[in-house]
Amino acid sequence: MNKKLLIAFLLLALPAIARAQSQWDLEKSTVTYHVSHPLHESEGTSHAARGKGVCQAGQCDFLIAVPVKSFDSGDSNRDLHMLQVTRGAQFPMVTVRVHLPEADLTSATIYCDLEIQFAGQTATYKRIPFQAVTHGNDTEITGTIPMRVSDFKIDPPKLLTVPIKNDVPVRVEMTWQRGK
Amino acid sequence: MNQRTARFAPGIALLLLFILIPTALRAQTSGATLSGTITDAAGKAVANAKVSVKNLATNQSTDAETNSAGSYSVPNLPPGDYEISVSAAGFDTKVAKVTLVEAANQTLNVALIASLSLQDLGFPTAETQGNAAEQARLNKRSHMLQVHQRLGLITTIPLGATVISGFFAGGKTTSSTNRDLHAALGSATTGLYVASAYYAIFAPKIPGTKVEGNIRLHKALAWIHGPGMILTPILGEMAFNQRSKGERVHGIARLHGQVAIITAAAYGLAILSVSLKSGTVSKSAHAVIATFDRKRPLSANASTGNNAQTDGAQNVEAHRSPESGFLKGSTFYPD
Repeated sequence: MNKKLLIAFLLLALPAIARAQSQWDLEKSTVTYHVSHPLHESEGTSHAARGKGVCQAGQCDFLIAVPVKSFDSGDSNRDLHMLQVTRGAQFPMVTVRVHLPEADLTSATIYCDLEIQFAGQTATYKRIPFQAVTHGNDTEITGTIPMRVSDFKIDPPKLLTVPIKNDVPVRVEMTWQRGK
Repeated sequence: MNQRTARFAPGIALLLLFILIPTALRAQTSGATLSGTITDAAGKAVANAKVSVKNLATNQSTDAETNSAGSYSVPNLPPGDYEISVSAAGFDTKVAKVTLVEAANQTLNVALIASLSLQDLGFPTAETQGNAAEQARLNKRSHMLQVHQRLGLITTIPLGATVISGFFAGGKTTSSTNRDLHAALGSATTGLYVASAYYAIFAPKIPGTKVEGNIRLHKALAWIHGPGMILTPILGEMAFNQRSKGERVHGIARLHGQVAIITAAAYGLAILSVSLKSGTVSKSAHAVIATFDRKRPLSANASTGNNAQTDGAQNVEAHRSPESGFLKGSTFYPD
């Protein structure tokens, strides 16, 4: 009788377990872009990113978003100009969507295909490596996204008629917390 | 029809039937049908979801759309391997593979997962929606500041020439030609300066912007070279008239040269302040002052209205490092 009850319980519980959903929340972040010019280097940093991840049936979907105007380079004139060339008033958010197998989250290096929406354009960056270090329920993710100005049809700013370099790498440091 | 033909007619009809019926039957039985229901994670039907059925052997796709009950049906599919892609607004696209056999009626139900949205992240709607009017304002501001920058750079040419010609325009033995040239260059400088200043003053302001960085020093220096650019030609006109009458330059007109030099220096520093690294200009100014004023020590942490307090030590290191120079890590002033 007990055996039959146990089997019946497992038959009912296993599908529910399989359908179980796990959630991830972005606790803190630092996102830094780096602009290069033959005469100048500059960086702008934002700590205003928010993100969520949902894992179900072995697949995870993450959404991370940062307000464009939250980036601070220490120079308000430069930040306003950055906001203008990136059409930041018209498209105020940078969003990043990631879809990956849940099993990949346990690796020390996670390779992600990133779909980035910025300045009204969408670009995909494939197999971007991120280093992952887990402490309990928290996972620290660091990596650099090799973004290019031309990918988002942005008119590169110029200094003395010389434009900035097309490559604008974005360094990302995030701490994710796993919830239920 | 004659009697002979009539005798064979039933046989011919039967023969035709034996040929045609199998053909018709083959046409009806070879195609498979794929159908099913598309729902969300809670089991609610998803209407207007697009179901794309692609034959992996031929790469041919057949599309269908779910009805109000979330149901779809794709008939007459040749047997083989298929990739089914299901997409709907607000949901992540789901892909499945299925193998269809001849004349099969196969069911494939798909549960879609709702896509995460910016509202799920807690961003208020106002922060995520674009503002075309604000973008237009930013565009106008950038354009005007770009003109301001270009005119400002062009102005340095006649300004420099005016300063140089000034050394040959004063004194007892200078000719009227030199004075005329100096005056003409001064007029050109003033005209270009006023045009450049117009674009800076009337460029749209962006409300809520905190002014920080080298732009603070750039604006502060305008309070020196702005009034200087007004006073210099006035004093110059007075000096010009006195010399034209054969008199020595006297009274307030004697200050023309000093005011012009201070104005030109402030103007040059203003350009450098938005071209060089934060803190470098102020420290350079202090270094020059300290060279002439031996009582005042050279202070590594002194600043004049820019952000050197937060990165003063770093700036000093960069300034003293032979590898970095002035330009490495400088403030980026857009053209």
